[in-house]
Amino acid sequence: MTATTTTTALLVLRRLGTALLTVLLASFFVFFAVQLLPGDVAQQLLGQDATPEALATVRASLGLDENVWVRYGSWLLGAATGDFGTSLVSGEPVGPDLLVAFRNSMLIAVPAMVVGVVVSLTLGVVAGVRRGRPADHAISLVSLVVMSVPEFMVATILVLLFAVAIPIFPAVVLRGDSATVAELLPAVWLPVIVLTLAMAAYIVRTARSSTIDVMAGEFVTTAELKGLTTRQVVWRHAVPSALLPTLTVVALNVAWLLGGVVVVENVFNYPGLGKLMLESVFNRDLPTIQAIAVVSALVYVVCNLAADLVALALDPRLRTRRKARS
Amino acid sequence: MTPIVPPSVARAQPSRRAVLTGVAGLAGLGLLTLAGCAPDRRTPTIPEAAATGTAAQGGRLRIARPAASAAETLDSASSLSAYEYLGALYNRLVRLDEQGVTVPDLAEDWSATPDGTVWTFKLRAGVRFHDGRPFTAADAIYTIEHILDPETASPQGEVLAAMIAPGSMSAPDPLTLRIPLLTANAEFPSLLTAYQCYVIPEGSAEPGDGPGIGRTGIGTGPFRLSSFEPAGTGSVEAFEDHFAGRPVLDGIDFYSIQDTTARVNALLAGQIDLISQTNLDYATAQVVSASSTATVARSTNAQWYTIPMLFTSDEFSDARVRQAMKLAYDPRTIVDTALQGTGSPGWDNPVPPTQAVFLDEQREHDPDKARFLLKEAGREGLRTSIYTSSYESVFTPLAVAYRDAVKDAGIDLVVRNASSDSYYTQIWMQQPLMVSYWFTGRPIDQLLNQIFRTGSSYNESAWSNPTFDQLLDSARAEMNDDRRRMLYQDAQRVVVEDSADMTPMFGDRLVGLSREVVNYSEYGFEFDYLSIGLRA
Repeated sequence: MTATTTTTALLVLRRLGTALLTVLLASFFVFFAVQLLPGDVAQQLLGQDATPEALATVRASLGLDENVWVRYGSWLLGAATGDFGTSLVSGEPVGPDLLVAFRNSMLIAVPAMVVGVVVSLTLGVVAGVRRGRPADHAISLVSLVVMSVPEFMVATILVLLFAVAIPIFPAVVLRGDSATVAELLPAVWLPVIVLTLAMAAYIVRTARSSTIDVMAGEFVTTAELKGLTTRQVVWRHAVPSALLPTLTVVALNVAWLLGGVVVVENVFNYPGLGKLMLESVFNRDLPTIQAIAVVSALVYVVCNLAADLVALALDPRLRTRRKARS
Repeated sequence: MTPIVPPSVARAQPSRRAVLTGVAGLAGLGLLTLAGCAPDRRTPTIPEAAATGTAAQGGRLRIARPAASAAETLDSASSLSAYEYLGALYNRLVRLDEQGVTVPDLAEDWSATPDGTVWTFKLRAGVRFHDGRPFTAADAIYTIEHILDPETASPQGEVLAAMIAPGSMSAPDPLTLRIPLLTANAEFPSLLTAYQCYVIPEGSAEPGDGPGIGRTGIGTGPFRLSSFEPAGTGSVEAFEDHFAGRPVLDGIDFYSIQDTTARVNALLAGQIDLISQTNLDYATAQVVSASSTATVARSTNAQWYTIPMLFTSDEFSDARVRQAMKLAYDPRTIVDTALQGTGSPGWDNPVPPTQAVFLDEQREHDPDKARFLLKEAGREGLRTSIYTSSYESVFTPLAVAYRDAVKDAGIDLVVRNASSDSYYTQIWMQQPLMVSYWFTGRPIDQLLNQIFRTGSSYNESAWSNPTFDQLLDSARAEMNDDRRRMLYQDAQRVVVEDSADMTPMFGDRLVGLSREVVNYSEYGFEFDYLSIGLRA
């Protein structure tokens, strides 16, 4: 085993540790933020007219009379094993509902992610290389416009075009939480397009500007002077370097998808994580809110971790610099 | 969790719904027109009446509904009942007609002892529940006991508990129901018209094993339940043995869609046929009625808009100030600006003009007199805030129209927008001046006693007037129908002159439905599930 692989492994381990700590911290803040909400949960559940006895009963049944640290501990242990407690509204365990909603959200988020990243990176590089030409103008203009229009508007326009005027896709998902994947498939297209568009714009912009930066770099000029074709210069030398700064933006965007789906899912009545979150907030269903917050934090951390690791793999400087210091 | 909100509001407009519509709805609409969905550049008019005609025998109607919560139930007594299913699945003993008169449903006839303390209902013979059991007085007694049970926490429980002692009802024979009252009430049958009073089979609310009425939905209504998921989808099928004959439709499918824009989109895309319990705002209604697949029908005077002035506040405890606030505005201008004419002026009388007991007297509109009264009360140029929120689409237009209308009388109001999420917990019954609304459809006794009587928990202005309370008691004790109507009209007069809850207008509910739907009819809490059908 060489010294380089050892340090790399150490680095990866360190990143994993930080990620785990972040998730732990997030769970801590989520749990205690909910505890700090005005009024106690029992009061919220029973309303203002509740008798003191009823309040005491509910507190006991929810375990609210226990020490807050004990409760945090047991909640964390439960969460780690996938047991997020029982919904205050439906009385059913939170876990299975959350899982279904998460699966449904992934059904629109993953295709949006894959298509969005591939298409927008390509477009961004093309725009960067053809800076100042019509292709660049067109790509930049469209991405600017898409960036400035909020996603629910894009969603509404798409619904009007492809569900009302030309009825190709359904406008909403009629069968809520009980919809199977097969039933959801015809309805995922419009949400995927909306999410792709909303996400792509940012990536296009970043990819374009970093391509421009790289193309102005000395090593690109050297490559050109060596007599390589533009195509070779771009794809072999410029693109890998241009991708690095874009990677962070991609990771952030993927995490943003989770937030973006709230609005989009509601417009399409799509039974995903965003819709579940909104409903839980309106119903003050605290265990569900906590669970969603932790899952979101987890996704966020995993995305960033993945971006870091990919960057580590792509850029030897990130590894060597570490080595030099230690 | 039960937020303190008006019962109609709580039921029909769960707060989250309104919150969602607030932002997305409005912005979405601008787009609807932008995207050229309203091809007609002329202002499309909103139809006055629903389409009538011959319906095809059979067919399935698809209804989009805003679900109350994931805890919703088919038990009508509960505050979390899935409202749209109730009228299809069940019957009450009595219901209200369009004039607010109590008419037969499962009870064919009723009478009281001369002092109005014991009521006897003759029940319809040959009625069967969906599971084949015959309907008898025991079921009716069980239903009312279930509502009275404090464990049920029924919104109508408090009202009935003031009238009926638990265990006092009896059935002299299977088709006779006898209810002794704690105090005389000539209007007692009307209290059983509430949508919490749908009749369920004996024992169905607490079965030993298996699902209770909240999931089985076994009633005597025109449709029987075939599936139901709280806050999800559900279906009902025509009940061949319904006592009033089979319904036109073969069945109804219910879908839960929380977002108003999504409900409208689903209608425009032809995925559903009717949007229930949703008052489309005027702009959306125009877009919908201009579309080739959908249109708009009205449920006339369904929305009762109010401007409560808090009786316990400094300014509005003075009768002169309250009177000035009324004299200062002409409700006709409010109907024109806030509703674009889709409603009728209220003239501060909470009784809709279509009701039999309506007092047909119009108060004056006199800004000068209002100015004079304010001066006399030492409040010349009254300056205060009027609260509104996006809870309901008409709230803000109403507040703005009222503010503009009272300027002539020197009243200076500042319109303040409060969060719709906490509107009925933090503003309602706490701020001196705000806008609010209820659904119409309460019988007169319940309307006046619940919203205007001293100390009632739904008395949103906290108004108290002993003369008025006395009139309500006299009316309850008066068994002569004509004299009782006069007492209720006297009570309306007191409300118009002195009450702290203004009624600027009644709004028509603008209901989105497919052009294929015929014979849609809805008023108050009555929906005609028997005749509604799809075009032949």
